[in-house]
Amino acid sequence: MSRLEERYRRVLRLLPAGYRRQWEDDMVAAFLETMQTGDAETDEYLADHGRPSLAEVTSILSLAARLRIGGPDAPPRTYAWGQGVRLAVLAGVLTQAVMATAGLGITLWLSGALSRLPEPASEWTLVPPSSSWQATLNVAGYAWLPAFLALVLGHRRVAQAVAAIAVVPQGIAVAVEQVTGPVPLTVTPWAMLLVELLLLVGMSAFHRDAAAVARRPWLLALPVGILAVPVPLFVAQATTSAFRLLDWPGLCCALVVVAMTVHLVVRASRPPGRTLPWSLALVLLATTALALRTATLPDIGGQVERTALLTVASAQVVAVLAVEVPLAVVAFRALRQLQPVSAAVEPHHTDP
Amino acid sequence: MTEPTFFVLTALLDGPRHGYGIVADVADLSQGRVRLKIGSLYGALDRLVGGGLIELDREEAWQGRLRRYYRLTERGRHALDAEARRLAANARLASTRLRRQSPIEGTSG
Repeated sequence: MSRLEERYRRVLRLLPAGYRRQWEDDMVAAFLETMQTGDAETDEYLADHGRPSLAEVTSILSLAARLRIGGPDAPPRTYAWGQGVRLAVLAGVLTQAVMATAGLGITLWLSGALSRLPEPASEWTLVPPSSSWQATLNVAGYAWLPAFLALVLGHRRVAQAVAAIAVVPQGIAVAVEQVTGPVPLTVTPWAMLLVELLLLVGMSAFHRDAAAVARRPWLLALPVGILAVPVPLFVAQATTSAFRLLDWPGLCCALVVVAMTVHLVVRASRPPGRTLPWSLALVLLATTALALRTATLPDIGGQVERTALLTVASAQVVAVLAVEVPLAVVAFRALRQLQPVSAAVEPHHTDP
Repeated sequence: MTEPTFFVLTALLDGPRHGYGIVADVADLSQGRVRLKIGSLYGALDRLVGGGLIELDREEAWQGRLRRYYRLTERGRHALDAEARRLAANARLASTRLRRQSPIEGTSG
């Protein structure tokens, strides 16, 4: 086996085992033929030093996404996972869109641009961005709103391109600010950037085989989300100092605990097959919130109110685990009862 | 029907082809515009086999490997015919309207 073939087979490992059993050898043969130039010396060189091009690897990646994060035609277990991933990504992008839109609204209100609204209290003032990089971070984040709308309306590639506008400048801004800024290195901006990157990549789950997103409830979730979370949170934080202990990872934990509790109550009265995708989505979201909370704990250590903050953070971790573990147990039990693979469609030979 | 699928079926009209044969034929047919990557080709072949539009014709040994040849089924031929008619009707629609307006520069007739 040439080095080139080894490298290509390594890429093919991204595909599910059942699919590989059926197609791998054929794919390898076709790939190796596309790499042949007709010149023996060049072919020998490529067999040793050649690599699958980025375009080839991308085509395998998107095939793997389609097969592993299945649509309605996929085997029940793959489909349940697919729906779970899609719901988790939608909920994540919705959260970003809600916070970005509310942030924009509050900024406009405090700067006096929304004259129809009552005047903000005199002590609520806008904190100007600490640097031009901070300003970039703020503005780029607004791209999550159009990205969410594009995703719900079925324009996945547009959504990814727009989300990239939010993620890429933020990545550069975070790197520059952390390296050159006056503040010490912190984990939080990197962890948040990683989550945004995951959402951007996760949007690939909305491939051609996936069912269309239910537009009305998800579009409605945007204003409802703004009124239910950032608006009361802003008022609470502006008027009660205890609420200022709730940082972004903490808010994610609180939201996911509430969502899982409501889900556990609702699922008790519904058939498990219907609620399973949401159970899986919430387990994914809770795991992300937990990872975000745990990874950002070192940042708390450097703050003035670290004892109070650490107590609150520990309570958040305990609360998430207390609800996530039972939900994960029932979700994976329901998942195991589903059929893992469909009857394989072998390319069978029929005599003419 | 996606453009790659359309070209894969068109490539198989002339007779059974193996994976690379389809890639080369599609590149030829589309005058180099559609260059199928292996992931896209097998994504399409997998769907087409599943949908009964193509099937395995034979396996042949070549340079120590087995080449699988695929052929169009009657169902595939009908699906391609329907798609070709749909595309032709769309093209006619545009051409008729274009002719009603002033001729496009650089074209004759």
